Amino acid sequence: MNLLVPISWLREYLKTDAAAKTISRELSLAGPSVERTEKRGEDYIFDIEVTTNRPDAFSVYGIAREANAILNYIGSKSKLQPPVGMDLNLDPDTKEKLTLDVKITNPILCPKFTAIVLANIKIGPSPAVIKNRLEAVGIRSINNIVDITNYIMMETGNPMHAFDYDKILGAKMVLRASRQGEKLTTLDGKNYKLPEGSIVIQDQKRLVDLCGIMGSENSQITRRTKRAIFFVQAYDPQTIRRTTQALAQRTEAAARFEKGIDLENILPVLSRAVYLAKKTAGAQIASELIDIYPRKQASKTISLNFDKLQKYSGVKIEPAKAAQILRLLGFKVQADVAKLTAQVPSWRAQDVQEDVDLIEEITRIYGYHNLPSTLPEGQVPQRTDGSLKQVIALKNSLKILGLTEVMSYSIISKNLLQTSQVSEKEAVELQNPLTEEWQFMRPSLIPSLVDIVAKNQNIKPSLAIFEIAKTYIKQKAGLPTQDLWLSAVKTGDSFYEIKGLAENIMQILGKTASFQKETKDGGIFQKDLAATVKVEGQEVGKIGLLNRNFSGSFGIETPLLALNLNLSIIYSLKSKTLSFHPIPKYPPQIEDISAIFAVQTPVALITEEITKTSTLVKNIEITDIFESEKIGEGKKSVTFRLTYQKSTGTPDAGEVHEARDKIIKKLQKEFLATVRI
Amino acid sequence: MDNTIKNLLEQSKTKIETAKDSVELNNLYVEILGKSSKINNLTKTIPALPQEERAQAGQMINAAKKELEAIFQKTKQSLAASHKLGKSIDVTAPGKKQELGHLHLVSQAIEEIVDIFSKLGFSLQSYPEVDWDWYAFEALNMPKGHPARDDWETFFIASHRATSSLIDSQPNPKLGRQVLTPHTSNGQVREMETVKTPPVRMINISRCYRRQIDVSHTPMFHQFEGLLVDKKVSITDLKGTFDYFTKAFFGPNRVTRLRPHHFRFTEPSFEVDVTCGVCDGKGCRICKEGWLELGGSGMVHPKVLEAGRIDPKIYTGFAFGWGIERTIAMKTELPDIRLLYQNDIRFLEQF
Repeated sequence: MNLLVPISWLREYLKTDAAAKTISRELSLAGPSVERTEKRGEDYIFDIEVTTNRPDAFSVYGIAREANAILNYIGSKSKLQPPVGMDLNLDPDTKEKLTLDVKITNPILCPKFTAIVLANIKIGPSPAVIKNRLEAVGIRSINNIVDITNYIMMETGNPMHAFDYDKILGAKMVLRASRQGEKLTTLDGKNYKLPEGSIVIQDQKRLVDLCGIMGSENSQITRRTKRAIFFVQAYDPQTIRRTTQALAQRTEAAARFEKGIDLENILPVLSRAVYLAKKTAGAQIASELIDIYPRKQASKTISLNFDKLQKYSGVKIEPAKAAQILRLLGFKVQADVAKLTAQVPSWRAQDVQEDVDLIEEITRIYGYHNLPSTLPEGQVPQRTDGSLKQVIALKNSLKILGLTEVMSYSIISKNLLQTSQVSEKEAVELQNPLTEEWQFMRPSLIPSLVDIVAKNQNIKPSLAIFEIAKTYIKQKAGLPTQDLWLSAVKTGDSFYEIKGLAENIMQILGKTASFQKETKDGGIFQKDLAATVKVEGQEVGKIGLLNRNFSGSFGIETPLLALNLNLSIIYSLKSKTLSFHPIPKYPPQIEDISAIFAVQTPVALITEEITKTSTLVKNIEITDIFESEKIGEGKKSVTFRLTYQKSTGTPDAGEVHEARDKIIKKLQKEFLATVRI
Repeated sequence: MDNTIKNLLEQSKTKIETAKDSVELNNLYVEILGKSSKINNLTKTIPALPQEERAQAGQMINAAKKELEAIFQKTKQSLAASHKLGKSIDVTAPGKKQELGHLHLVSQAIEEIVDIFSKLGFSLQSYPEVDWDWYAFEALNMPKGHPARDDWETFFIASHRATSSLIDSQPNPKLGRQVLTPHTSNGQVREMETVKTPPVRMINISRCYRRQIDVSHTPMFHQFEGLLVDKKVSITDLKGTFDYFTKAFFGPNRVTRLRPHHFRFTEPSFEVDVTCGVCDGKGCRICKEGWLELGGSGMVHPKVLEAGRIDPKIYTGFAFGWGIERTIAMKTELPDIRLLYQNDIRFLEQF
């Protein structure tokens, strides 16, 4: 959360000669960060980021308190001057006392409640100093009483509210949880239907305050107000947060209430507000002080071992120095040689809970920039890298193979899910999606990739893209499966092209794959023009042409090839172990055989037969496959390049001739082949 | 004999010198100087010669062989030198090349980061993106009611009551609801559980999800998490690790600083800043007074160590994490990180 602090305002409480630049630098290093400084006239305005655990610093005075501790520690002269009027005597000024009947139904909703009635108020403009300061931090000045409430909040961090006393029917206030369906108009004129359980105040008849968020229009201070109720309190932070979120209304007050309020500071803040009202509006106290505080805020004492401080900080910080730092921050400290005990100041009660919190306080003021830089000692654990390391190498290979990596959202729309042909029941659905575009965790990457092809088809008609990411499918119990997949999509219609890519990938991954024709209809892949990929007998994915109906549903007319491999399974399977084979001493004889076969004869079957027929054949390469009218309908010509080799010498012409004859006879007999040679 | 040798020598010379290419030359070598060449056959005839001629014949044959060998070498060289080299070249014309693809910027950044931390002994691990509330929040000292656990900050998985046998995504009685991890920190306690006894040095890179979208946020992004737990780990080690990373990743002139910050799962907590590369730390439009925020870090909170069954009395540790996309934006001056996930080919091919 960010806070604007004019340096001129800060200097009212921070009495120091330090320059604005010094204050900004030192604050940023050891406390809340000054993110930007804006020069406005003679003044500088700091834009400060205050972390959510430090509501105590979310005010001009809170920043002064931090800066004072830091400046003192580094030896700059600095003194903290609290706001004037924080300890007034709050006895009534008027003879005639006004009453206010307050009831709190549940003290958890409001752990401390203070109020006082002021009379003889003269509504008018605020003094220039208040007006200017409010404007400098972005708050519009309204009138002297309303301005006090805003000024007090920015000054002390404690939001407060003022009601017109004469608009509180029956001078009666009941603070309670809202009921389903209750309505209220806030003072900015907005109508709200309240969620159940918000904190509200009701007078004799109606709701007069949406506590912690904004007052109600019906009880607001106006030009005609003569008597007012000043009202400072704390609320249950979680309840405030629920209400702000349910109503989507997060005011400056709510931002502070939901972080928690220092209960001990509530009365001084009320006193300060009364002081300002007396000074700027001629107000007089007209009631007894109402102070409902059933359970005093606990004050914690924590002990810290100096050994532990050294273990964390990495340096030896003198005990006296550690104690000095904590004292500067408002802790009450006792120290001996081995440890110190520190009583936490009321404004840090929620944040500082245990010794590591004290370590943070000491080391940050000591200065993280004053600590040396070292590399960790100790042993490097024996731990193998997960598969992501292999994925990085694989991605680089795919890039060399000409594919471009895309990254798409893992959360997809219902429409995209439907194209993936995984049922909604199996898909992992978000309970609170941001929009319909992002509703399900995708069970397949292919639809996302095809969608990307569709979006780019007018820019670049020929594409080859891939993505490696997890997919998600529900399981019967426990977390969904979250396997890592490699999917690629490219424009083209040659099955052999995508098979080649699959073979390249398998070679890179060190696996041997086999392929089986896809004969099932209706999947993402086209029946008879795609294949199931198996490694070690286990199905690891599919490759081939995408079903034209599927790609057509993305508005793509050109054929698409795709590859979809489950890397989680593939990585878990054994890789080929590479071992040495002696390099042949004698050169081989190499020759080609061409033969005509029936189109449906798988070449793998033919090569298998050749291998079985002759032991002289050490390698078979298929150099050409073609179909043509010349060789006839339903036929194909296949050219095999055979390597004849033996370990005792180069095969002579006779041996080669004999092997060739055997092979040709076998092909004629087994496959009814016509050998062309 | 004399003349026979001379004739043979002259014939062979002509043959060799007129060879068209290296294939022909190699064949000639076998023919002229091979085992069953004429000159070798001549050698075999020496014993049939009269005693007094034998020595001379042997010398002549050897001299001829030597000469032929030399001519072979010369011809080989001249053939190589005269190899057709084309007429002229245009060095500005494109070469014949393989079409290369492109790696996504996020992958490039991940690779660089992993390389740097690998040198420091961190191993790369990965953990679920859909995980239990326990690992994502509870074990990280983020109790119920913490704002990050609200429905408007974090995506939760819908739990469908059984209409079929699929009755999953139900809350687990011990581990809570299923969430889309809003950070990689769910890997912290999981890694502690896996390793059991420190030392722990882990990096975890994963897709993360938060319910927000604008120029600097996408609902899905990549986060990077580092965790080191050991017996003697202090803030100075965290500083040193970041210095090492920053100089390796951003350049030797860049400097880091730690600023106090707040995270539930670390104490003390820091924001890590790097000097702005645009203004060199002087302060400019894109940075904050000369500094850019890199990410969050801190000393592992004792409660987190306890959740991972590691004794905080013996061990301390540090953890850090940041968004990869933001790091990329810092390095490439990317104006809108949503570009990273729009997958426009003209964007992808730039990198």
